[in-house]
Amino acid sequence: MSLQMPQADELVLNNKENIVLNLKKISNNVLFENEEITPYETDGLTAYKQKPIAVVLPETTEEVSKVLKYCFENNIKVVPRGAGTGLSGGALPLQDCVLVGLGKFNKILETDFENRCVVAQPGVTNLAITNAVQHEGFYYAPDPSSQIACSIGGNIAENSGGVHSLKYGTTTNNVLGVEMVLMDGTIIRIGGKNLDSEGYDLLGLITGSEGLLGVITEVTVKILKKPQAVRAVLIGFDTIEDSGNCVADIISKGIVPAGMEIMDRPLIKATDDYAKAGYPKDVESLLIVELDGTESEVDILIEKVLEISKSNKASYHRASTSDEERLRFWKGRKAAFPALGVISPDYICMDGSIPRNKLADVLSEIYKMSKKYGLGVANCFHAGDGNLHPLIMYDSNNPKELKKAEEFGADILKYCVKVGGVLTGEHGVGIEKRDLMCEMFNDNDIQQQLRLKKAFDDKNLLNPGKVYPILHRCAEEGRVHIHKGKTKFPDLPRF
Amino acid sequence: MSGVFQPENESQISDFIKKSAKSNNPIEVVGYNTKAIGRYIQCSQTLDLNRIKGIIEYMPEELYIKVRANTSMLEVMEVLKSKKQMLGFEPVDYGYLYYGKSSYGSVGGAIGCNLSGSRRFKAGALRDHLLGFRAVNGSGEIIKSGGTVVKNVTGYDLSKLVAGSYGTLSVLSEVVLKVLPEPDYSETFVIYNLDSSQAITAFSKVMKTSLEISGACYFPKNNINFFRLNDLDNSNSVLALRVEGPKKSVIERITNLQSIFKEMKKTSILELYQSKLFWKIASNLECFSNSPNIVAKISLAPSDANSFIKQFCDDTIIGINNKYFMDWAGGLIWMEIDNSDPSYLILEKIKKFCTQNNAHMTVVKSNMTYRSTGSFLTSTSDDIKSLTSRIKKSFDPKSILNPGKMYAGI
Repeated sequence: MSLQMPQADELVLNNKENIVLNLKKISNNVLFENEEITPYETDGLTAYKQKPIAVVLPETTEEVSKVLKYCFENNIKVVPRGAGTGLSGGALPLQDCVLVGLGKFNKILETDFENRCVVAQPGVTNLAITNAVQHEGFYYAPDPSSQIACSIGGNIAENSGGVHSLKYGTTTNNVLGVEMVLMDGTIIRIGGKNLDSEGYDLLGLITGSEGLLGVITEVTVKILKKPQAVRAVLIGFDTIEDSGNCVADIISKGIVPAGMEIMDRPLIKATDDYAKAGYPKDVESLLIVELDGTESEVDILIEKVLEISKSNKASYHRASTSDEERLRFWKGRKAAFPALGVISPDYICMDGSIPRNKLADVLSEIYKMSKKYGLGVANCFHAGDGNLHPLIMYDSNNPKELKKAEEFGADILKYCVKVGGVLTGEHGVGIEKRDLMCEMFNDNDIQQQLRLKKAFDDKNLLNPGKVYPILHRCAEEGRVHIHKGKTKFPDLPRF
Repeated sequence: MSGVFQPENESQISDFIKKSAKSNNPIEVVGYNTKAIGRYIQCSQTLDLNRIKGIIEYMPEELYIKVRANTSMLEVMEVLKSKKQMLGFEPVDYGYLYYGKSSYGSVGGAIGCNLSGSRRFKAGALRDHLLGFRAVNGSGEIIKSGGTVVKNVTGYDLSKLVAGSYGTLSVLSEVVLKVLPEPDYSETFVIYNLDSSQAITAFSKVMKTSLEISGACYFPKNNINFFRLNDLDNSNSVLALRVEGPKKSVIERITNLQSIFKEMKKTSILELYQSKLFWKIASNLECFSNSPNIVAKISLAPSDANSFIKQFCDDTIIGINNKYFMDWAGGLIWMEIDNSDPSYLILEKIKKFCTQNNAHMTVVKSNMTYRSTGSFLTSTSDDIKSLTSRIKKSFDPKSILNPGKMYAGI
């Protein structure tokens, strides 16, 4: 591993047998043999691998508390892990850590329609929550593309988004409460079935804290009634600028679509070749707009969007007339990862957020960088919420290309920050963007966040080495690497 | 150092706090000073943010507005209105409660108290609309968090933490708020003569439909006569359901509501103008205008609302006349509590209910005695209290920013 991680504690490394013995007194599920712990050596950011000293799979909150208390008292680092699908390396183990996997916390505890919420253990998948309530016509709104596999606890750690976050918010806007264990073993409950809680908003702080502040052992999330109707429109443009203007115009006219996605020409071609989605091939930019609400509302909005697209020089448009057709519109977009795997041996997926009106500017800069580095790039953009995912293509058999791809990626993120955006919209900082944090924050900002971390974990034992630069080093390294389409979860739709 | 300091910019705030930290001099931070919420604190110094105001940048198509923290909320609302946009959390005008007249106060003040109106259960609380900020912490350091984009997971989400921190963590200098388009049209469907438990059943029924209700409140018979609207009968209890969106869709959904509640004996519809007025009067707590009593809000699971009302608000049972109303489809109860009991026994009982039922009470208005000695929030567990104290220290190590405003000793 080339990435700098916190220095391993020799005392802990030399005491492994004893630690395993003590952990076994607390939990029946302690793994330490090489082959047993191999599945836990990496998460969705597969470029980095590291085996921990042991993996514990607790089954109760009390067990989690005892494991953490033991580690706290013995100065042993702990890395929490949900489903391990995260793309920024947040669940990457440390050489001298105990990995606490929440996989056995896989039960839905309560579906409460009177209070419109679900109480679940953190290892339950995102989609399982919707599955548990859909018979009553309800669903859980945040829908990260990996929702069939990612866990709800992991979603809270990363503040996961999805394509519908402009209208329905990200995880943070949909969580009502958690039970969690602090590094010293203290069990606390925050929020519940009520909307607002007194005191500092610990729930808002925990959400998106990437497993640095506590280990979540129970969650309460809000559920919504499914909209009556959902329809989508495909709109093609001859220039990126026109599609960007169209998005701005839709929003200025007071429409908040459920989802709005833009793909550039290289991605349209790759995804359509792969998924046969029926996209027009002679456009520079393709916009998918999804609208939901009551039947008549959706019809009115579709008309308005088509009108706006015409006034923004759209060269192609088609509105879905059935749910099958709507899903076909999304099919290509959702297949972006495997589609690129066909045309390029490797690629890096970036994740920056930018002001919507900077899209044309940022893409034209990315194309210039692509020429400069001699590497291909394809882009998709959650236009509704300004979240840009450039996919940089390279060949890892050529070591020079990997380095170039990483530099290219870092340049893109720096440019996102320069135009008023941020380093990461939904994948998290983890280890991947850790060393770029100084692009966005100065020392005062970072020190404030580190002091806050100490308020929860004064020994810095919980998931250290993640999110914040070690020694404030602002180098450029690490991205999501995919070699020959071999991601950790190749079948999982991404972003 | 003592007296009132009125900084003109962020760096003057920073210098002032640095000096105060050095000399261990606590500071009371005030904006418009319109909200007497929180414990009463006495500091030798006042940091008056009156000059930290003005809109910095409004980007309608990017759906955000960046303002200096002490900009008037009303000014922000009016600027947004000119572009047919709004703040989704529906800012509350607490002026009626304290002074009997409109006074929205400042943006920073609303953020400090995390105040959200009737749309909160659908659109989220104020804290959900704060995208980023710049502030000065208790050491005088200028810090920032978040940005102008809605999707942002870069570092801890400190915006959530400062919203509702009553100025105890940092002094806000600049804030970025998410804005949303104003709905084209709205109407309100009213059902009369329900008792509180029937009202909760009605809320539950409507929240299980896909009609996207954006306001759901209930005023009992003894707390309704302050409404003076042509199409509203204010002689008996009122349950109101707001529907917003394109006109055609609103009218269809109102028809749906009529059919869902067809067995109700008396209903009416408030059209656009009266509907808007109704929600303004309701959200702005005009029912407690200039109240001489204690006013508190209780956030609870809607399914617990009925038992709360039976215990604390129903005059036929406990023999006192505690005026109340429900908002957020039963998730919030506002109540006025008789000021004459010097032991505040009922507040203690409510706190006990909250602790037992995982609900939260905030005393929004009270007298000086209570503000000086009582706790305006439900008592929290020792573990959370100790964590709260550590968080406060991480921002304000010498505890000089509004010390004791939220909890005694923190």
